[in-house]
Amino acid sequence: MGYLDIEHLYFQYSSKRMILKDINLSINQGEWIAILGHNGSGKSTLAKLIVGLLQPKEGRITVDGVDLLPENVYDIRKKIGIVFQNPDNQFVGVTVRDDIAFGMENLQVSKDDMLKKIDFYATKVGMQNFLDKEPSQLSGGQKQRIAIAGILAMQTDIIIFDEATSMLDPGSRAELMEYIKELHQEGLTIIMITHDIEEALYADKLVILKSGEIYQQGDIPTLLKHPEWFKEAYLELPTAIQIYYDLKQAGHDNQELEEYLWAFSSSK
Amino acid sequence: MKNIIIGQYIPGSGFLYKLDPRTKIISVIVLMVAVFLLKSIVQLSIAMGLAILILIAGKISIIRIFRGLKPIFVLLIFTFVFQIFFNKEGALWVDETMTIGFVSITSMVLWTIIWRMLAKFKKFKMILFILYIGGLYLIMKYITYGTIFTTWQFLVYEKGVEMSFFVVIRLLIIITLSTVLTLTTKPTDLTQGIEKLMRPLKVIGISSEDFALIISISLRYIPTILDEANKIMLAQASRGADFAEGKLKDKIKQIISLLVPMFIIAFKRSEDLADAMESRNFVPGRERTRIHDLKLGRLDLLTGLATVLLLAGSILVRIYL
Repeated sequence: MGYLDIEHLYFQYSSKRMILKDINLSINQGEWIAILGHNGSGKSTLAKLIVGLLQPKEGRITVDGVDLLPENVYDIRKKIGIVFQNPDNQFVGVTVRDDIAFGMENLQVSKDDMLKKIDFYATKVGMQNFLDKEPSQLSGGQKQRIAIAGILAMQTDIIIFDEATSMLDPGSRAELMEYIKELHQEGLTIIMITHDIEEALYADKLVILKSGEIYQQGDIPTLLKHPEWFKEAYLELPTAIQIYYDLKQAGHDNQELEEYLWAFSSSK
Repeated sequence: MKNIIIGQYIPGSGFLYKLDPRTKIISVIVLMVAVFLLKSIVQLSIAMGLAILILIAGKISIIRIFRGLKPIFVLLIFTFVFQIFFNKEGALWVDETMTIGFVSITSMVLWTIIWRMLAKFKKFKMILFILYIGGLYLIMKYITYGTIFTTWQFLVYEKGVEMSFFVVIRLLIIITLSTVLTLTTKPTDLTQGIEKLMRPLKVIGISSEDFALIISISLRYIPTILDEANKIMLAQASRGADFAEGKLKDKIKQIISLLVPMFIIAFKRSEDLADAMESRNFVPGRERTRIHDLKLGRLDLLTGLATVLLLAGSILVRIYL
């Protein structure tokens, strides 16, 4: 039993094909797991199911031993936060301060407590000087950091990143990944939904979704030994690993370079 | 488009900025009522003077208020002209015979063409418009030769002039008051003030919190949506659409081609936003704590008192004068 358990989960929108089929997943506290899948593989739907925005057709999700049901979704959401893809579509407040406060207001945190936490978590994501700024004055990366601060302030145990970096420029993206790394080191459980393998390399464990099913899961070095799995799931390999396989196929045999390329990919 | 200001809030330091938004909202409403109780131009002029005093005391530039009036200038002129033409009470002040004939129509057409040609001097738009109207008057009055089709009487009565000034001054005061409110109150504070004032409506099932949230989210998304509109316009312009020129029909077509994608994007956005809000534990109607707190101070008490006195004054004036 992990902290978050998903058992035989099925999901479909009304009268359409099954979006998710027989998903079984167990995530331990403090783990960083990447859910990798092509467009339409159902990975974002899975994220929405985990935070109770959608109801499964069959199967169950348990968080910390408690079944996720419409009756207790409010309490479950105190444990799981989610950062979505589009930075603009999740900024609720008129100012940065208001936005960080939004979740806490919903949890009925007292005003003094809120102000303290806003300062603390804004500083944590490096946005302490932007508290009175409006969203239109912020970059996409800054907005995502505010979204993270808002969730951290709610003190959840798990944060889901649903393609949270896909609309950012490379600089902001790298910066955000570093933040997530720090959060993980502090003991937060991270679920990263992505179609970008380079990003997935940061995780402890990789789950590959293909057409709504878990196609493969395991630790990253093991999965990378099977390039055909990635191809079949319509995914790319990390560039360094791709080069490694290309060299190998072309008959080059350079032990040192091979070792370097593997190390390069697992250095994250 | 990014720097668009929502509302007209301009940071400042006068006493009006220190007031609780609730005090300001109620005071403005009460003062408007008081203004509507006044019956004569003299009384209204005094009220106008008081309004200007409020502006000076609040360190608000009168020029800025005047600039804020620009968009409703047409309304003011229309009101003024309407009153002059249609109010036929009191002594007759002006009685002119106006001629419409071949020469005068030709002159009017020429005058209109000249006016339109000068329209590119946007700065003098207002002056040019007044000159244009004045020109039409002079043409109809003095160009009486050639074939004459018809004549009509231009009549202005005492009451008409009085009423037109009366109505326009009253409008000016009301607009000044509401401009003062939006100029000195942040949109967030304004929303919160409205929320607190609407609390009692809970009895009839209207949730003031939801209402305030709707307003603040709308305010939050106006710049985003304008930005979106700008992008769509650029995308369409790059494919040959022209938003600036063309016939009215073409313009309407282009606006539709702008509105459709904007609506689709806005709906998608609202779905995402609903998910984001829900996942952060927002439940409509559920009790929430608030980060902003409103507190009434001594200044609010004084302002309230002054407002009540002004209302009482105008009630007395209404009864006894």
